[in-house]
Amino acid sequence: MIKVSEVTKKYPARLAVDNISFEVNRGEIVGFLGPNGAGKTTTMRMLAGYFPMNSGSIEVAGFDVRKDAREVRKRIGYLPESCPLYPEMRVDEYLRFRAELKGVKSSARKAKIAEVKEQCGLTDVGKRIIGQLSKGYRQRVGLADSLVHDPDLLILDEPTVGLDPIQIRQVRELIKQLAERHTILLSTHILQEVEAICERILIINEGKIVASDTEENLHRKLHACAVIEMEVAAEKAHAIGRVNALPGLDVRNSNALPDGWLRMEIEADSPEMRVDLFNLAVTEGWVLRELSEQEHSLEDTFVQITRNLGVTP
Amino acid sequence: MNVFFSLFKKELRTCFLSPIAYVVMFFFWALTGGNFVWLLSQLAHGESLTVAAQLMFSGPLLTFALPVVIPLITMRLFAEERKLGTLESLLTTSVRVPELVLSKFAGALVFYMVLWLPILVYAYIQSRLCPAEGIAFPDAGALRAGGLGVVLVGGLYVSVGLFMSSLTSNQIVAAISGFALLFGSTLGMAIMAYSSTTSSIRIVGQYLSSFAHMMDFSRGIVDSRTIVLYLSYTALFLFTSVKAVEARRP
Repeated sequence: MIKVSEVTKKYPARLAVDNISFEVNRGEIVGFLGPNGAGKTTTMRMLAGYFPMNSGSIEVAGFDVRKDAREVRKRIGYLPESCPLYPEMRVDEYLRFRAELKGVKSSARKAKIAEVKEQCGLTDVGKRIIGQLSKGYRQRVGLADSLVHDPDLLILDEPTVGLDPIQIRQVRELIKQLAERHTILLSTHILQEVEAICERILIINEGKIVASDTEENLHRKLHACAVIEMEVAAEKAHAIGRVNALPGLDVRNSNALPDGWLRMEIEADSPEMRVDLFNLAVTEGWVLRELSEQEHSLEDTFVQITRNLGVTP
Repeated sequence: MNVFFSLFKKELRTCFLSPIAYVVMFFFWALTGGNFVWLLSQLAHGESLTVAAQLMFSGPLLTFALPVVIPLITMRLFAEERKLGTLESLLTTSVRVPELVLSKFAGALVFYMVLWLPILVYAYIQSRLCPAEGIAFPDAGALRAGGLGVVLVGGLYVSVGLFMSSLTSNQIVAAISGFALLFGSTLGMAIMAYSSTTSSIRIVGQYLSSFAHMMDFSRGIVDSRTIVLYLSYTALFLFTSVKAVEARRP
């Protein structure tokens, strides 16, 4: 669906996107993740044909973004970052205007607008003035606009930014529903968002794609080693010494709890080394009340990837 | 063509929904009304019909009001789209930039022509007030030529204002730079044409001064050189506006 090959974009003062290549297949829902200023918006604008690139090529549905810009735009539903709308227009007026611009045939226009309003939960606000709608509703109007010409590909630039938690959940649900019929590329700097919605993740940092994989694979790759949490009743210095003495185990953090227990975070070569720790507790005669593998969030992954590259997110 | 028409409709609607349109309308209509009262009092004091007819379209009041009024109409056109970010959503549909520029130009020009509508009422009043024997006043030919002049000069001014608006995301900057360029050139050319002691400067000034051109149009003189001058300058500013928008500065 999308094929980006060796694309570079320079701004006068800096390199925004540095020789990136990636592909998105039909029907996928891909999260484009990166810290602010990493080049997400620039990449999306190039995909939508708004910014020219300095070198490289982008194909969308088999059309070159530079040579067949109009064909590409017909196939893309693009929601820019700030969700720009005309505040003085009514929702129905705006959607009709956008449908006209996007060449939706006049015979199909009414039905199509009704359909996207239904999809985006806008049926009751058609007569309202956009400037008086809440941020969540405006975001839905933007989404409805990006859907109105029935595009193959949706490019959503930070679709949930500035929404309250309930609105965020609603918009995410909506995007998930849309994934049944459209290929979606969505950018965000919020990690839970990609965890909640996306099948595959592209991580971009300082203009470079630093990772591209499914969420589980990213975890597996980065966490071949595990972190084990252990709570025992033992004297602190002694316990740490005994654990560190075992091969492949290293106490990263330890904490004497107020109720007299000792809590340790232990880096291990594999989660299976919990068995060794249990055996240690038995031989030392420690009472053990917790022994578990720490769950890693995508946040850890992300921090680790960016840290591995020597940058702070 | 359909796309152009949708854009044009939207442009007109936005224009007539903005409060600034009615403020501009109020002041311009007050001004043309005052101008007409002046014209009538000149006639009452026995001024010649030719001089009185000139006042219809080209009194000094009107000549120097247009450089103020038109930037107020045009400042919104692109500056607002940039500010709202809607330029990005427009240019990522299959809209072509020249279509967009022309639709905005046409919308603003239509609003400008609405500003001039009271002139029809004044012409009617004149024709009722002065039933002079054997003299057709106001002269139909002079009225038509004046109308043509109003559209030509207005077209150029609108294209200048549009260009200024295409360069910035700040409406105030667009309005002030448009005003400075239009007012400065109108005043400068008028000074060249009427107050210079050097005859060569005076001739150049008369070729270029919109004040002088509007005087001619009001007397019913339609000079094809003037028409070409205005159309080509208008085209030039529309073209540069297209280029400015295509440069796509965020």
